[in-house]
Amino acid sequence: MKRSVQKKVCLLGDFAVGKTSLVRQFVEGQFDDRYLSTIGVKVSRKTVELDQVQLNMMIWDLVGGNEYLHTERSYLMGTAGALIVCDLTRENTLDAYARYTQQVRAVNADAVIFYLANKLDLTAERQITTGQLAQLCASLGGDFLLTSAKTGAGVNEAFTQLARQIEGE
Amino acid sequence: MPSGESVLASVQSILLSQERQQIQELEQQLNLMRCQTQVTIEQLQGRTGELEAELDATRLALRKAEAQARDLETAVDLLQRKAQADSEGLIERITPVFSSLVSRQIRDSRDEMAEALGPVMSEAIRVQIRDSRQEMVEALSPIIGETVQRAVGEFFREMQQNVDAQLRVTFGPNGLMRGLKARLRGVSAAELALRDSLSFELREIFIIQQGSGLLMARYHLAGQETADSDLVSGMLTAVRDFVHDSFSQPDVEAADLNEVQYGDKRIFVQGGRAAFVAVVLTGIEPAGFRAALRQLVDELNVSYERPLRAYNGDPATLPVLTPLVEEFVANVLAEPAKPHGMSRRQGWFLIGSMAGLLLFTAVACFYLQFTIALYPIAFPSATPTITPSVTPSLTPTPTPTPTPTHTPTPTLTVTPTFTPTPTLTPTPTPTLTPSLTPTPTYTPSPTYTPSATLTQTYTPTPPAAAPFANVWVRREPSLDSEPFVAVEFDTPFILISVLGPWAEVEWLSDLPWLPGVQRGWVPFAWIQLRTDVLPMTATPTPTPET
Ligand SMILES: Nc1nc2c(ncn2[C@@H]2O[C@H](COP(=O)(O)OP(=O)(O)OP(=O)(O)O)[C@@H](O)[C@H]2O)c(=O)[nH]1
Ligand SMILES: [Mg+2]
Repeated sequence: MKRSVQKKVCLLGDFAVGKTSLVRQFVEGQFDDRYLSTIGVKVSRKTVELDQVQLNMMIWDLVGGNEYLHTERSYLMGTAGALIVCDLTRENTLDAYARYTQQVRAVNADAVIFYLANKLDLTAERQITTGQLAQLCASLGGDFLLTSAKTGAGVNEAFTQLARQIEGE
Repeated sequence: MPSGESVLASVQSILLSQERQQIQELEQQLNLMRCQTQVTIEQLQGRTGELEAELDATRLALRKAEAQARDLETAVDLLQRKAQADSEGLIERITPVFSSLVSRQIRDSRDEMAEALGPVMSEAIRVQIRDSRQEMVEALSPIIGETVQRAVGEFFREMQQNVDAQLRVTFGPNGLMRGLKARLRGVSAAELALRDSLSFELREIFIIQQGSGLLMARYHLAGQETADSDLVSGMLTAVRDFVHDSFSQPDVEAADLNEVQYGDKRIFVQGGRAAFVAVVLTGIEPAGFRAALRQLVDELNVSYERPLRAYNGDPATLPVLTPLVEEFVANVLAEPAKPHGMSRRQGWFLIGSMAGLLLFTAVACFYLQFTIALYPIAFPSATPTITPSVTPSLTPTPTPTPTPTHTPTPTLTVTPTFTPTPTLTPTPTPTLTPSLTPTPTYTPSPTYTPSATLTQTYTPTPPAAAPFANVWVRREPSLDSEPFVAVEFDTPFILISVLGPWAEVEWLSDLPWLPGVQRGWVPFAWIQLRTDVLPMTATPTPTPET
């Protein structure tokens, strides 16, 4: 039998980029068009079966934007990994990548960080090119993935990839 | 010889025969098309006629519809006016129709109805609350009141059952113990029973890593297990962080979340450096619970700080925490009953108890003495005649001794019991029983009129007081009251009461015109007390009839 391990991961990014939707898609396989801003933090859990272990991901979905949380530092304590999300239809949401990377690193230098660009399905409104993403993520030293919480594209891969990297598989 | 013209014609026919043929074909086609066009035109003309006829019919119908609409409008107008005039009647007539319609709809397609009405209803309620708050409150309060009432009722019923269960054991040794325990804790037995009825139950204990919120250990003790306890611990951590961040001020010790309540359960949270502990419980926690919890957290953090801090989600790396938790549970469930210090109230209780015990002993001793003294009366010798030995028992001494004659109970009558008539039964009659009640009040009952046989034997011993000199006795404690007799120096007095400078006294008069026991008022300064027992009451009592 595989051993079971618990890990904390955080979802970070500006408001309304789709953090909660991504978690919901990953955990429940559902999507909702309505926007209900997360109040503070919501913790969810999903078990990911890896080759060696069964990883219980405790997913901390934090509200976007620093104005709501005094300091996000305490919420990031003990996190093993982070998914930093931007919204492909809002170019300014890309700024959050560098900001949150710094915050995660300050708490845990070894945390695994993955960059997600969400709302891939909204092709007509897209404002961020893959080239832009590649360049920025290379400078931040992390991989990126295009996702759509609506269609589910790239969502499982994002979380599973994060889980694998955390476990070093 | 063919003419030039004919030659030209034949040359032309040779050269242009093909074209001519084509022209002819084209002409034929043209004719055909002309024919077709003609047919189409005719057809179209026919269709137009039909359409015109249809148009006419439609126009006619439209006119009819317009007329109908006008009629309807008039009817609606009429109805509206009627409805305005008789809105209540209309509502009454329409309501049953609507109600049955709505109920059928609800029965047949509940979900659709809910779906359809939901948004409208919530909007309507919101608007209603905004615009007419008071009316909404008035309309809803009976329903909400009833709901609340029911919930509260249920709670109290349950509590009552618990209290009943507690009270059922009140009269056993446990009940007595509880009474004593309650007194020692400075609460009433009822309060203690109430508190015990809100039964305390330790349900679950979570040990959670500080910061990450990862659940390191969980112990289930009673009740239903919390589903998703790892989520609960995560959320608890988040809430703690939130409290910490939001309510902490610079230079002030960080605020901490101590307790969360949900439903009838409470979560006690105690923070530590590497791990914090959350305890889920119901009811009222015993005294010293928080201290025990703090001790557990301290011990956990002191003994295992390093492994707890280094915990990375792999349970295999955790130390065994169970003994510490077990110790905590045992401590809490043992319920420390030690009273801490004695409060003023508790002190008074102890003093009261001791005084009560002393009084009880005194009464018991007196009873014994009294019984011995009464023995000769209760079991007299063969002839039931009055002998001087009877007298002491009838002595109306002012001391709070419960002699039969001085018992303040209105039912007590001295005469039947002690009348030295041959009817005296040699057994103590039940009327003696109340005489055992000790009372410091000496209120001579009006029945204390000595019978003729008793007068000779009335010798108050020991005398309570006596006048210094001959003294005037008055009926009222006032100089305005005429003296009715003068009493000689050193006549034995019984002091009945004191009112300001006046003393009410009783004495045995041997004057031929005033025989028997007399009562009246003398100046207090004129009498000399012969016992140190003062009467407790200072109310003038009615002078007995002589
Ligand atoms: N079309 C499309 N809409 C999305 C997608 N992901 C999220 N949304 C919508 O975007 C809005 C915001 O989504 P949330 O998941 O609530 O965003 P969030 O990042 O959690 O927002 P905060 O909690 O306020 O920080 C919602 O209306 C979602 O339905 C996506 O992939 N495609
Ligand atoms: Mg959210």
